[in-house]
Amino acid sequence: MKVTPALLVIGALLTFWASMAIMVLLPAATMHPAPSSTWRPWSSEEEAGNTLYVQNGCSYCHSRYIRTNDWDLGAERLAEPGDYVAQEPSILGTERTGPDLSQAGGEHPDDWHLAHFTNPRYTRPQSLMPAWKFLGESDIRLLTAYVQAQGGRDADTRISRQQRWRTPAQEAYARGPDKNIEWLHDQVPHGWLAMPNPYPPLPADLARGEKVYQDQCAGCHGPIGDGQGLAAPYLNPVPLNFTLLRRHLTDGRYLGGMLYYQIMNGITGTAMPYFKRDLESEKIWDVSNYVAVYFVGYTDATMEPRGIGAAYEPAWTNPYTPPQTQPAAASQPAAAPARTEPR
Amino acid sequence: MSGMWRFLKKPEGPALAFMVSGMLWFIIGTLYGLVSAIDLVAPDFFANIAPLVFGRGRPTHVNTVLYGFVTEVLVGCGLYYVPALLRTKLWSPPAAWLSWLLWNITVLSGPICFAGGHTQGREYTEYIWAFDVTFTLAIVLLAVNIVMTIANRRENSLYVSVWYFTGMLLWTAGSYPIGNVMWHPSTGAVAGILDTVILWFYGHNLPGLVLTPLAVGAAYYVMPRIAQAPLWSHTLSLVGFWTLVALYTHIGGHHVPQGPIPNWLKAMSTIDSMAMVIPVFVALGNLWLSIRGRGGKLLADPAGRFVLAGTVWYLITCVQGPIQSLPAVQRVTHFNNWVIGHSHIAILGFAGYIALGAMWHILPLLSGRELYSRRLVNLQFGLITFGLVGFFMVLTTAGLIQGGAWNNGQTIYRVLPEIAPYMFLRAVMGVLIIAAAFVGFYNLWMTLRRGRVIEPELREEALS
Ligand code: HEC
Ligand code: HEC
Ligand code: HEM
Ligand code: HEM
Repeated sequence: MKVTPALLVIGALLTFWASMAIMVLLPAATMHPAPSSTWRPWSSEEEAGNTLYVQNGCSYCHSRYIRTNDWDLGAERLAEPGDYVAQEPSILGTERTGPDLSQAGGEHPDDWHLAHFTNPRYTRPQSLMPAWKFLGESDIRLLTAYVQAQGGRDADTRISRQQRWRTPAQEAYARGPDKNIEWLHDQVPHGWLAMPNPYPPLPADLARGEKVYQDQCAGCHGPIGDGQGLAAPYLNPVPLNFTLLRRHLTDGRYLGGMLYYQIMNGITGTAMPYFKRDLESEKIWDVSNYVAVYFVGYTDATMEPRGIGAAYEPAWTNPYTPPQTQPAAASQPAAAPARTEPR
Repeated sequence: MSGMWRFLKKPEGPALAFMVSGMLWFIIGTLYGLVSAIDLVAPDFFANIAPLVFGRGRPTHVNTVLYGFVTEVLVGCGLYYVPALLRTKLWSPPAAWLSWLLWNITVLSGPICFAGGHTQGREYTEYIWAFDVTFTLAIVLLAVNIVMTIANRRENSLYVSVWYFTGMLLWTAGSYPIGNVMWHPSTGAVAGILDTVILWFYGHNLPGLVLTPLAVGAAYYVMPRIAQAPLWSHTLSLVGFWTLVALYTHIGGHHVPQGPIPNWLKAMSTIDSMAMVIPVFVALGNLWLSIRGRGGKLLADPAGRFVLAGTVWYLITCVQGPIQSLPAVQRVTHFNNWVIGHSHIAILGFAGYIALGAMWHILPLLSGRELYSRRLVNLQFGLITFGLVGFFMVLTTAGLIQGGAWNNGQTIYRVLPEIAPYMFLRAVMGVLIIAAAFVGFYNLWMTLRRGRVIEPELREEALS
């Protein structure tokens, strides 16, 4: 076959435009997904947030669709074509330096986002995300609105749950530190409160707990556990000062189970995130022991009730005695009548 | 004024101009790459310096190296070899100058606009509408120029390099406006999931119908010349050329694997990604068989070595490509630094190496001056090769760590510290590549200023 100019030009154009018809026109003619069950239109603020998302290249680090083999943020819901109706542009992304954001709405309350956008290292000390402080508070508000809309109606459900808990959490905080802690513990299912940490705080466990703490918690609760982390000025309620817990032990002696539950589950409505995804069980027990030993100055590790001893733990005798708790001013004495053992 | 006009009408002017500006963008673009690499090592290093923040510096890097460095240098080469192969002169040098100007305005708009957040944000189609217009004009003008050059040829048959160069211009004139959704000037996108289909139709036409034809065309020109051997097979050239455009245009779906696009698109993109081995291996086979037994000549020639190495990167890229478009593999390799490794060996390794090699080969023919320094070309080769091999190993490793960990349930946040050393090494390797960019620009500049003038008779001989 001799390639003449006519063959070259006409052949090249024909092949290209035929492919274009298959790969662009055919999809354009056939892809009209109905809005998915969670879809809803964006408000003008959310729309403006999308523009900022595009302009600042968030999409180079964040994707917006969930695949079957995902576990991280948003993995509860697989992406559907109907999730993106009317969004222009709707950038799905090819890179996950940070987590997928398609279902990020309602994961955190707005004050967490304010601290995080100002500088992500405030809430997530190891983050690689740029600080967006230079955008100014109003743009950060728009970006937050956009993120909170990710997930559509599912996100709205999560947001309303955040709001449902936000008011009582803030009210409790306003009543003072001790009342706040009482309120917090009133929300913890009873079985977790009278439960000791089943694992001993051996030096290796404490070292691991420290690493977890510095990587995950220090930005908020502060390197020394006093609640004065870099994120604190942006948050309401502020992160807990762990030293206060010394006078809020359940039955005058337990705190391990409470710590575990709060860390695993987070405190919806406040900036305290859940860690069940980031930390496996052992790491949560380790960081609980670390917080207890270093900041509360006491641990209930391996106290009764302890059930059948874990197979591999070395023998360890708990040297701590429950602190003599003074009734705090304006607070119920922590040494309340012993609760009945949970079954 | 008339002096200016005479200057604009010099046939070698636009080709040289594309090379010089391309080599300048090489420096600027890779510096932005370094900034982005530093952002991923120490995110507060450029804290609150808006233009250097990752989300803004990265598109500046990508667009500048892509549309600035690699493509411009290869277009510069084409503006030389197409007329040379047709034994004629470029139809209109002034029109080519205009294309050069419009093209560089487009590329310049990147660092300026992205710094302030003026971007359309879809990967590879970031330039805002006004500069989509300048770019499309540049391409259309070049297409007319080349087609007219073909019309005015004195050599009857069209060599395969001419097909590729012409094809690239004709295809891009259609593909770029569609991919950039230029009929929606404000967003450069259509609404909904369809946008992803259009974006990645273009997203794979960019390597497939811009970079590949340019680079393969240049290799087809340079390799047989340096080896002083005829092309091995006309038939293979034909197969490679036509399967390229037929297949490459169908594989965009592999950029959104397991995504919410129709299944038939995904199936098609996977199958055609496999089939991509045809145009690739056919072209490579043809090139390598042409120089069979004469590889030493290419290795001994600094420019030839670059082009030969570029074809090796092409092989690696295109073995990796089909493998990573298999769903089972992509579950692990997608979304992480594995793909960044692929991009760099593809665009810098394959297209960039051939661009540099072809430029060093053509420069003396074009300027009538010998290369200022062959040793500096070798130095550049060494720096880039060391840097890029390192880049590829480091990024592939980081990608496997990320992908494997995620696939087994670790969160992205937890894996960040695991890739930290690789992000650091990548930045270090990048410095070598940047050094190569400086060395190259210096050598180019000095060749044009100080290179020993080649005797006219010798030059005629070289040209024939
Ligand atoms: C350099 C890459 C990068 C860029 C650019 C980037 N992010 Fe992130 N982002 C990350 C990383 C890494 C994380 C995970 C650690 C963390 O939470 O900071 C993250 C986390 C987030 C989270 C928290 C998700 C969660 O619930 O845990 C949100 C929300 C977010 N990014 C939004 C944005 C927005 C909006 C932009 C653009 C203005 C953006 N990001 C730009 C890397 C990036
Ligand atoms: C983004 C900030 C933030 C991070 C990160 C964070 N916390 Fe918190 N945490 C809070 C806030 C705010 C509260 C208090 C809520 C209140 O007072 O209503 C809290 C409360 C708690 C409580 C509740 C104590 C109680 O008595 O009920 C525990 C335990 C706790 N944090 C542990 C941790 C640990 C361990 C980590 C790291 C693994 C961590 N937090 C990370 C913000 C944070
Ligand atoms: C046989 C040929 C090829 C195949 C089958 C192939 C396949 C792929 C696949 C599957 C991806 C997506 C990976 C992912 O996101 O999971 C990809 C990305 C990419 N490829 Fe290739 N590739 C080939 C050749 C090339 C060539 C020759 C170039 C450049 C000249 C190139 C440049 C790129 C770039 C830049 C990306 C990154 C896109 C992005 O996500 O930003 N590829 N390729
Ligand atoms: C001319 C040489 C280069 C070319 C052609 C090139 C090309 C590219 C391309 C196409 C991408 C997008 C990848 C994708 O989305 O899949 C990219 C990303 C990137 N490049 Fe380069 N690059 C070059 C040199 C460099 C250098 C020297 C550095 C660093 C020092 C660098 C650092 C980066 C970084 C940090 C990213 C972003 C990666 C990410 O998103 O995680 N590049 N480059």
